[in-house]
Amino acid sequence: MTAAAPPQSSPSWRKGIIAYLMVAPPLLLMILLIFIPALQSTARTLTIDVNGEPGFSISRYTAFFQDPISVSNLFFTFQVTLITLAAIFILCFPLAIYLRFATGKLAGAVQVLALFPLFVPGIILAYALIRFLGTRGTLDNVLSIVGFTGYRTPYLKPDAIIFGLVWESIPFTVLVLTAGLRQISDSLIESARDVGANSWQIFWRIILPQIARPVLIVFSLNFLGIFGSYTIPYLLGPAAPQMMGVFMQQTFGQYRRPDDAETQAVITFIICAFIGFLYVRTVATQRKREESE
Amino acid sequence: MKLRLILLVVCIALLGALSVSAQDRTPIYVYTDSDTNISDFWTNTIIPAFEAEFPQYEVILTIVRGVGGGNADIANRALAAMTTGDDPQVDFFETMNTDAQQEWVDAELFLAVTEEMVPNLANVIPATNRLPQEMPYRGSQVLLAYNSDNVAAEDVPTTYAGLLEWIKNNPGQFVYNRPDKGGSGAAMVTRAIFEVTGQDPSKFVPGESDEALIAEFSKAWELLGSVHDSIYENGAYPAGNTPVLELLANGSVSMITAWSDQGLQAYNLGVLPETTRFAQLQDLPFTGGYAFSAIPSNSTNQEGALALANFLLSAEMQQAIVETIGGFPSVSWEMLPAELQSQYTSVITDTVPTWPGGAYGAAMVEGWYNNVATNIDPSS
Amino acid sequence: MSAQQLAVPPPPIDGFWSGTRRSFQTMIRRNGFGLIALVLLALVILGPLYSVVLWAFAERWQYPSLIPQVFGLSFWERTFARADIAEALPFSIVLAATVTLISAVICLPASYAFARMKFRGRQLLLLSFLATNAFPRFGLYISIAVIFFRLNLIGTLPGVILIQLVNTLLLMIWIPTAAFQGVDRSLEEAALDVGASPLRVFVQITLPMVMPALSAALLLTFVNTFYEAQGALVVGLPRIVTMPVLMYSLINSQLIVQYGAIVSLVLWAPSLILLILAQRLLRGGYLTAGFGV
Repeated sequence: MTAAAPPQSSPSWRKGIIAYLMVAPPLLLMILLIFIPALQSTARTLTIDVNGEPGFSISRYTAFFQDPISVSNLFFTFQVTLITLAAIFILCFPLAIYLRFATGKLAGAVQVLALFPLFVPGIILAYALIRFLGTRGTLDNVLSIVGFTGYRTPYLKPDAIIFGLVWESIPFTVLVLTAGLRQISDSLIESARDVGANSWQIFWRIILPQIARPVLIVFSLNFLGIFGSYTIPYLLGPAAPQMMGVFMQQTFGQYRRPDDAETQAVITFIICAFIGFLYVRTVATQRKREESE
Repeated sequence: MKLRLILLVVCIALLGALSVSAQDRTPIYVYTDSDTNISDFWTNTIIPAFEAEFPQYEVILTIVRGVGGGNADIANRALAAMTTGDDPQVDFFETMNTDAQQEWVDAELFLAVTEEMVPNLANVIPATNRLPQEMPYRGSQVLLAYNSDNVAAEDVPTTYAGLLEWIKNNPGQFVYNRPDKGGSGAAMVTRAIFEVTGQDPSKFVPGESDEALIAEFSKAWELLGSVHDSIYENGAYPAGNTPVLELLANGSVSMITAWSDQGLQAYNLGVLPETTRFAQLQDLPFTGGYAFSAIPSNSTNQEGALALANFLLSAEMQQAIVETIGGFPSVSWEMLPAELQSQYTSVITDTVPTWPGGAYGAAMVEGWYNNVATNIDPSS
Repeated sequence: MSAQQLAVPPPPIDGFWSGTRRSFQTMIRRNGFGLIALVLLALVILGPLYSVVLWAFAERWQYPSLIPQVFGLSFWERTFARADIAEALPFSIVLAATVTLISAVICLPASYAFARMKFRGRQLLLLSFLATNAFPRFGLYISIAVIFFRLNLIGTLPGVILIQLVNTLLLMIWIPTAAFQGVDRSLEEAALDVGASPLRVFVQITLPMVMPALSAALLLTFVNTFYEAQGALVVGLPRIVTMPVLMYSLINSQLIVQYGAIVSLVLWAPSLILLILAQRLLRGGYLTAGFGV
């Protein structure tokens, strides 16, 4: 801004200021409402009172990993998250490919159905699933009408959590994967077909490498959402083991141990941050490569 | 076109929200996380009657049931407000375990109430075991509810040992909820603790924490663990009183533990089938419970809150508790009409064991989760 | 995809049924996957919702009937007689609209800066918004509440708006950023070359191109905010009661199933209207184009 500034750098300098000003409001909001509270929590979990003086300690973390219940809940959360992710991909990949290449009313109907869960909040879903999957629920009822009587309900078991979480994740996953697939041009696929590639080769050699990034987005964001989920595992899942969201609430609200709840929160945060970091790095390197091309 | 219509609707809604006029009456902010029968009772009976008698107050009832920690979260919020000296925006907790968190006790978060402040406290029966900060205003007791189509009257257990035996003999036909998600399930667990500590609830003094007594809980986990596999779906415990009632209502199970008031109401509403019957254990009944109201000491409308507390303990409201929600009074039955007494004494036993909560409650919940609900041995 | 369209050859003499079967077989061959997907999705997505919808109109429904024994609307009257619902529903709609609007005002300039301007740390700052999803919610809200007490924001509209804004940042920055990046710069440059002002170029060329993605971002933000419950609970009560906060209590522990079902249906209404609007975006495939893929 000052006259001393070299004239040729002045515009970009000013432009930088403007850019920072434009970015500042949401950034400040996030720092104030996410980073500061989270850092406070993290700092508290690493501090213990030593004769009235705060001192550094990782004792809370060692306590967490020595407690078999905590470890089993963490392990269970991982298990549910990974199985749910696998199920999401198995379901949504064919759907996305279909929606990318199909046109017409049927495809439109399929898309509307696939997007519908976007408009159903978790609490209603839980309410509906209890009546759908439960003993003598709709599914049980329909099965018994067609003559199948040995129905065992997944309600209050891990299967119901997975079912609910997959249900919730379908729209986002299909949206992102379909969008990724749309960026592959028809001509590329047609020329591959012209040189005699079959469907599998087209999928493996052309489609898959092109949508690595959407797949990563879907993987990481779904991972984070599932890992921190609360309503579905709380209302549909078993009393034990518990997913971390439920466990945390339990520790905070029922066992009256806010310190331990905070430790659990920070542990989930570290895990989620790791997934986030993997994602950030992949995206960053890919962008760099795109820009250099 | 559609967009314009939506904009119109939004504008009308906005105007509606703005037109809520300023009130002259002093608000009393009441929080409850009790089940619907209770919050409906407040909305339809207590609040209209109170506001008719005290027109200077406006009761604003907020229902925080089922989200996060319910009233405990709001109490923590009030505690935070206390440290910063802000208005906690809560004057009255419909139910509260005032000693559930040590920080609350240390900070004297709740007001100690005396008979000078709330005259009707003089009528409250001693069996309610109240702390100075707590005002019991309604009670109810956990009962066994069963479907008489599937359970013959002579097979209904009359002792706790008999109940465990029945569960083992009828796998999948009994269910209770997680002890922290509703009192009907908690009663199943606390009754096991009473069973292994000599069937003597008086050992458990509110506000105390006897380590030796807590150490004995492990025997209760063995009892409950022995029937774990015979519970509905090999040990599937629902997350609330209502889901358990629903399992009985749709025939998934034949017997449950249920709150007397909720069970009776569900029966009257036709939610539970007509073949539903209720029973109580004869050796030592399931715990009853009193709902303890409490006033945060930093409430900005203590006068109104105390008036409300006194009103709840009036003969008029105590009678409504019996008649409307199938609960039982916290004042002496003699204060109520004689015909009402005779009508209800068959359901209500004289001894109502109470569970002290506090440190015992936390140990009970955590012990159950770690030993009964899971098959992991914590010592391994 | 109607059967008449496909049954172009007139039905042969052996009758209507074989003709129908043939046209059906044609349809399967042409749309095999789509049909299977449609049927499966209809079962999985609509199945759970089936009982909720029917319960809302049931007077009496006992096992083992697939539909209620007695239909009726008496529970609708009882539900709407509740003052809390009549107050919370319009308020929630206005609140969600307000949050969406503020979010757009804050985030859209930022996303423009992220997409178009060069400044140090651009990539890192953009990726940092992922953090809004990476934190376990429950602990975070409690920590935020502690900070809000100091700022006197508990139980106030600004407090609720702030906490809900945080949840909108990721969507409202990432989708528009991708859209701005996707705009064909040569069109803008051509317009600038012929002497159009930068503002005019933005309004007449850039904006129309990113509009579908912006609409998608606004739509998704509105729906997500409308269903947000936990933040509103911790920060908003007692003065601010949103519909989802009410819904938790109505659905979670209500002896009368109809209440929960009716409230669910009522809560769907706003998002169903949006879903109808979204149809237009879906058909053009725009909704999927905005996910930063």
